[in-house]
Amino acid sequence: MLRYIIRRVMSAVPLLFGLLTFTFFIIRLAPGDPVSLYIQGDVDPMFAENLRNALGLNDPLPVQYVKWLKGMVTGELGMSFSKHAMVTDILAATIPNTLLLTAFALMFNFVIGIILGVITALRRGSATDHIVNVTSLFVYSMPEFWLGLMLILGVSLHLDLLPASGMHSAMARFLPPLDYLWDLIQHMILPVFVLGVASAAATGRYMRGSLLEVINQDYIRTARAKGLSELLVIGKHAMRNALIPIITLLGLSLPFLLGGAVIVETVFAWPGMGKLTVDAIFARDYPLIIACTLVSGVMVIVGNLMADILYAMVDPRIRYD
Amino acid sequence: MSETAVVALSGDADNFNPVVSNSATASDLQGNIYPMMFDVQFDEREGELTYGKGLVERWESANGGKDIVAHLRTDVRWEDGMLVTPKDIKFSFSLYGDPIVASPRRSYLESMIFTDNKFDVDKSVEIVDDSTMIFHFAKQYPLQLFHINLSPVPEHIYRNADRRTLRSNPANERPVGAGPFKLEEWVRQQQIILTRNGKCTLPYPAKLENVVFRVISEPTTRLTELKKGTVDVMRPVYPDDVEDIQENNPDIRLETLPPRNYEYIGWMNIDVDEYHKTGTVKPHPLFGDRRVRQALTYAVNRKEIMEHELGTFGELAVTDFSPIFRWAIKHDLIPYPYDPEKSRQLLRSAGWSDSNGDGILDKGGKDFEFTLHYNIGNKRREYVATVVQKELKSIGIKVNLQSVEPVVLFQNIEDKQYDAFIAGFSVGLAIDPAGRWGDISNPFNTVAFSNRRIGELLKLGLHVPTQRDAGPFWKEIQSILHQEQPCTFLYWIKDIVGINRRLKNTNINVLGVTDGMWNWTIGDPNSYMTY
Repeated sequence: MLRYIIRRVMSAVPLLFGLLTFTFFIIRLAPGDPVSLYIQGDVDPMFAENLRNALGLNDPLPVQYVKWLKGMVTGELGMSFSKHAMVTDILAATIPNTLLLTAFALMFNFVIGIILGVITALRRGSATDHIVNVTSLFVYSMPEFWLGLMLILGVSLHLDLLPASGMHSAMARFLPPLDYLWDLIQHMILPVFVLGVASAAATGRYMRGSLLEVINQDYIRTARAKGLSELLVIGKHAMRNALIPIITLLGLSLPFLLGGAVIVETVFAWPGMGKLTVDAIFARDYPLIIACTLVSGVMVIVGNLMADILYAMVDPRIRYD
Repeated sequence: MSETAVVALSGDADNFNPVVSNSATASDLQGNIYPMMFDVQFDEREGELTYGKGLVERWESANGGKDIVAHLRTDVRWEDGMLVTPKDIKFSFSLYGDPIVASPRRSYLESMIFTDNKFDVDKSVEIVDDSTMIFHFAKQYPLQLFHINLSPVPEHIYRNADRRTLRSNPANERPVGAGPFKLEEWVRQQQIILTRNGKCTLPYPAKLENVVFRVISEPTTRLTELKKGTVDVMRPVYPDDVEDIQENNPDIRLETLPPRNYEYIGWMNIDVDEYHKTGTVKPHPLFGDRRVRQALTYAVNRKEIMEHELGTFGELAVTDFSPIFRWAIKHDLIPYPYDPEKSRQLLRSAGWSDSNGDGILDKGGKDFEFTLHYNIGNKRREYVATVVQKELKSIGIKVNLQSVEPVVLFQNIEDKQYDAFIAGFSVGLAIDPAGRWGDISNPFNTVAFSNRRIGELLKLGLHVPTQRDAGPFWKEIQSILHQEQPCTFLYWIKDIVGINRRLKNTNINVLGVTDGMWNWTIGDPNSYMTY
């Protein structure tokens, strides 16, 4: 397994390099000048030219590419054009926030999704099944942006139950550790819900289908015939196989959650990478765009790898050596 | 918590070095962190800037108006205890003027002394002694004080900094200032906490213990936080939300910022193809004729657009001289009314007629048809574009609409790539129309408008002893702009600011929301120590 993981990681390197090179040229060839947003009424017209020189934007494209390559090899991702700080510092401050949000959204997605899937599968055709199915479809179709704003207006403004935005209250840094943690949890509830709920609805549908397929198999019938309790039949025998496709889904969900985080982070002012990426693209902040692409690429690869490894863990027939 | 005010921001700061920072957020906060040469105020009744004591205690003009002799305070200290000295100021000016640093404020030095086209800090900034400096200008200039009012940075912090990478110097994230507040914490994209600098004497320490600036880019979320009372100040409140706030949120008071931003429809004055290919300046085939530009302004119902989009929070624009500059405004210019018939007459007189009966005006075999560009996602401009298309169609002009991503739009406007576009402009605090209406190669002269008389008036207006002396020249420029209609000026926008009533002593004015932030109090102002 370890050899398999190392091989997969090594094979990801050229893939990532290709992705970043492609991104490097695409963003530079796309219309839009990183400096143009800084040109305002009272700014020196020479400023743009000086800034372009300072940022190396006046170098020929091959020269820029070689400089960039050199930076990549030495682990130097460069300086953000729009935020005037090292890209690595910016990412270090934002990646944990996004990971926190997506990790909990992923947990929410699978815990709720699996529970709903099991309930609807076991009560197939019942009123509960129909209600959950219709609700899932409704939730799945709701745009995250709209759902987020509705929850902010309903839960936060009118009911005053949860904070509307940010990761912490304004002066949370002065709170005792437990209060600080509670403050963070309160701020996480709405964004995690919005980010995870649509995926949970989808996971529930997958789980339902998968479990229904499994419980019609002969070995389940045999288990029941042996007199095993329904809890044991479903919990031990059926779930183990029904979960295999869901676990594959787990790894593949990561990139989708990252995509959703862009919207959720914007609506809830969550200081993560999703919002950072959007801002970087609109500002034509080349180093930051590349760095965000790198992080997203790594997460997609890690997600896929994770899915494969978990797959092997759940299904003993799968061996990667 | 009771002594903490919370301000919602739409965007984060880029950094806290006033030499290189460029974001509006950084500009607003730096005035509260760094020492100021002068305590600048804006006299709204007169419509002009006034200069009070800051680092400079008193000053006088010398050498026939070409020099400013400044007498400095000698008791002001940086946060780390070091004295603020003339050396700090001269060093800072050398940074502002260095092209390698690429300061966005470099133009502030353009009237000082240049040697071989480079800002000469030794000839421009003279240290006489520990409390006296002389600022030398190349010519008499009415905006001398405005232009030397640059925030100094501590030399001992930046002395050995690499100027090429000053923009990303780590010291920019831990500013050492001497203002009423100091930076307590900056979590990028999240929040900035300023805390009271008790040792400040410029102008005096803040009354509030903390002011937290929270970054909330989504407008609905920002407004929700204001309504919840978790944010004390936010801008802009959209006109559509005003009625709801007034009816349902008695804890919020609304104030307006005097207008410094206007929107306009840019008509390219020169033939851009010729200009880019050969560098020659020829009138634009459609908009090169003044009568056509006038006709276009008459054909657009600007008042209706303004009332639809801004309600009572707009003001029809006559020229690009902001109404805030009361002393410099030519008040007898009457905005062009909506008059399609007058528009048709003017177009006829310019030779445009529908000779082939297809409903579109033509001249010399060419239809009057163009593409109007505007930035995607800006609902107000989308509305303007749609109305313009409809109204110009009624007078026989075909308008194709093209929405463009903002970065691309701005670049193409600056590069003079479009025939027509909708854009906005923000005017500075001092009148200097040279960038907008001077050389057509200037990126701010977005419509490439050139007028010989305006060129003369700019030279006259920028070389008088005081601002007021330039009044007649600025008024004549307004008359010419009104007559020539280089673009169709639409309206000035008065930004609405929402403030929780618990926050007292705010002073929302032309200089911004955070001007005089050191005076802010929460609740009863009498409960605070006075300084």
